[in-house]
Amino acid sequence: MIWSWIPGNGALIWQLTYENAYLGVVPALIGLVISLPLGVAAARWRWVQPPVLTVVNVIYAIPALALFIALIPSLGLTDTNVVVALTLYSLCVITPNVAAGLRAVPPPVRQAATAMGFGAARRLLTVELPLAGPVIIAGLRVAVVSGISLASVGQLIGVASLGYLFIDGEQRSFPTEIYTGLVLVIALALACDLVLIGVRRVLTPWGALS
Amino acid sequence: MITFERVTKRYPDGTTAVDKLDLEVPDGKTMVLVGPSGCGKTTSLRMINRLVEPTEGRILLDGKDVQQENPARLRRGIGYVIQQTGLFPHRTVEDNIGTVPVLNGWRRSRARGRARELLELVGLDASLAKRYPHQLSGGQQQRVGVARALAADPPVLLMDEPFSAVDPVVRASLQDELLRLQDELRKTVVLVTHDIEEAIKVGDVVALYQPHGRLAQVDSPERLLAAPADDYVAGFVGFDRGIRRLSFYGTADLDLRTEPVLGGDATVAKAAATGLPWVLVTDGDGHPRGWVPAHRLSAYPGDAPLAGVPLDGHGHAFTAGTDSLRAALDAAVLSPAGQAVGVDGAGQVKGVLGYDQIRAAVQAAETQAAASHAARTQAAGTQAAGSPASEVPPAEADLAAEGDRS
Repeated sequence: MIWSWIPGNGALIWQLTYENAYLGVVPALIGLVISLPLGVAAARWRWVQPPVLTVVNVIYAIPALALFIALIPSLGLTDTNVVVALTLYSLCVITPNVAAGLRAVPPPVRQAATAMGFGAARRLLTVELPLAGPVIIAGLRVAVVSGISLASVGQLIGVASLGYLFIDGEQRSFPTEIYTGLVLVIALALACDLVLIGVRRVLTPWGALS
Repeated sequence: MITFERVTKRYPDGTTAVDKLDLEVPDGKTMVLVGPSGCGKTTSLRMINRLVEPTEGRILLDGKDVQQENPARLRRGIGYVIQQTGLFPHRTVEDNIGTVPVLNGWRRSRARGRARELLELVGLDASLAKRYPHQLSGGQQQRVGVARALAADPPVLLMDEPFSAVDPVVRASLQDELLRLQDELRKTVVLVTHDIEEAIKVGDVVALYQPHGRLAQVDSPERLLAAPADDYVAGFVGFDRGIRRLSFYGTADLDLRTEPVLGGDATVAKAAATGLPWVLVTDGDGHPRGWVPAHRLSAYPGDAPLAGVPLDGHGHAFTAGTDSLRAALDAAVLSPAGQAVGVDGAGQVKGVLGYDQIRAAVQAAETQAAASHAARTQAAGTQAAGSPASEVPPAEADLAAEGDRS
């Protein structure tokens, strides 16, 4: 390890970390927004669930590099390419959790809400989704952590991320750079995960008090 | 008033849950739907607030067909309590209770104020307001469920096996609480249970279902026990219905015997002079201490005080006036002397009661009950025309006035 390399390249490292965080977090959030209606539909209508879950599973099976390359003709070698690909992956982990979380709402709670005069939309927004919250956030955590890790693969099609440090370090036979990248990817993933745990605590105070 | 008019519920698989049900729930009364599981009692209940839609027939709420109402608005006017409580795990107790007022457009702060009133009404401490449901005991959760159902002061309360999930001691106290609340609020309550004891305890009218959604008998609890319509009803209400029926007969008019009752300072000779086989000995305050059999007295000198003679226990006493004949009979059975000890509210002995007197009291009560039933049946037409709902108890009037200000 040549420690002096790190402060010498602070600006580059910071820039790459930021890029990597962006590519990890933004697709997960877009994925969350798309997953909510998908998961609601899958939980609401029994027949929707098998096709939706099969499709997202198939998408998840596509290797990241192959997906990036497949998107090049339409999206080119851009950030958007990686954002779209990682959004698709995030759907795969969040949608099943939205559906599972909604289905885990105790039937008496749902029935009581209906019997007290909640309309379907209000019941979904103020009772069912809040109760499914912890399970949905669990899916979001996986999406963010895997997104941060997968974003580094985007470097292979030239989209900047901490992956640059792996490739550059390998080409120059310079382990310090590779280790720095590795530690930063893991640290970034952990940091985002902790933030999401905090979000869950704030949004679901009823669980934290138990 | 809730009226079922030839209501039938058939499911697509051909099962008939409710079959041409005709039933009237009078205003301000508690109607209990009771029967074996799968008899259609819960389905009947859920058709009132349209959680289940009938296949045929109609249900009228104060003369209006519930099918014509907007379901959400209809339900906000009908309190609903279920066995599993259905409390919202993610909301505090006060916000659970304030659910329907908030749906009706109240500000949350005002709904919370109302929640505090209701906590008190159902006998819970205001300190529980900020807790979450899972931090409460089963009995407390059920009380919160009742408070939530009452929050918007609905005239009608539907209760689906509300006390089945709690232990017998808590269940009894919740039943007592319901009776107390009903005394105060006079809601039109429909309560579903499979427990005939519960039905008899809390119901003003009991509708006993037989399998496949038909009614076997609709009657007052007293009549159900006294005059079961058929063998099915007799079997359902149980073999000891004769004894349980005594719960409806009071003990206020009984002539308690005082001759066998002596203070501890009375002498053995005085006890022997009564010529009775058993003498009840009291302490200085008039509380019962125990029975002594006549044959035991001979071993003691005549001038010895009774306090020095070993006593048999007195079992337990019944409170004359407030307890029922059933309690009196129970006390007699458990007493070594075969006589029940009657006490007043302060626990002081008023007198004792033998089987012969209990038997006479039962006969008198039955004659009276039969006569009043006959009179009621005759007067039923004119009674139905009157409007008991026009009397608004003070508590309700306050709530109604508050509702107007919203």
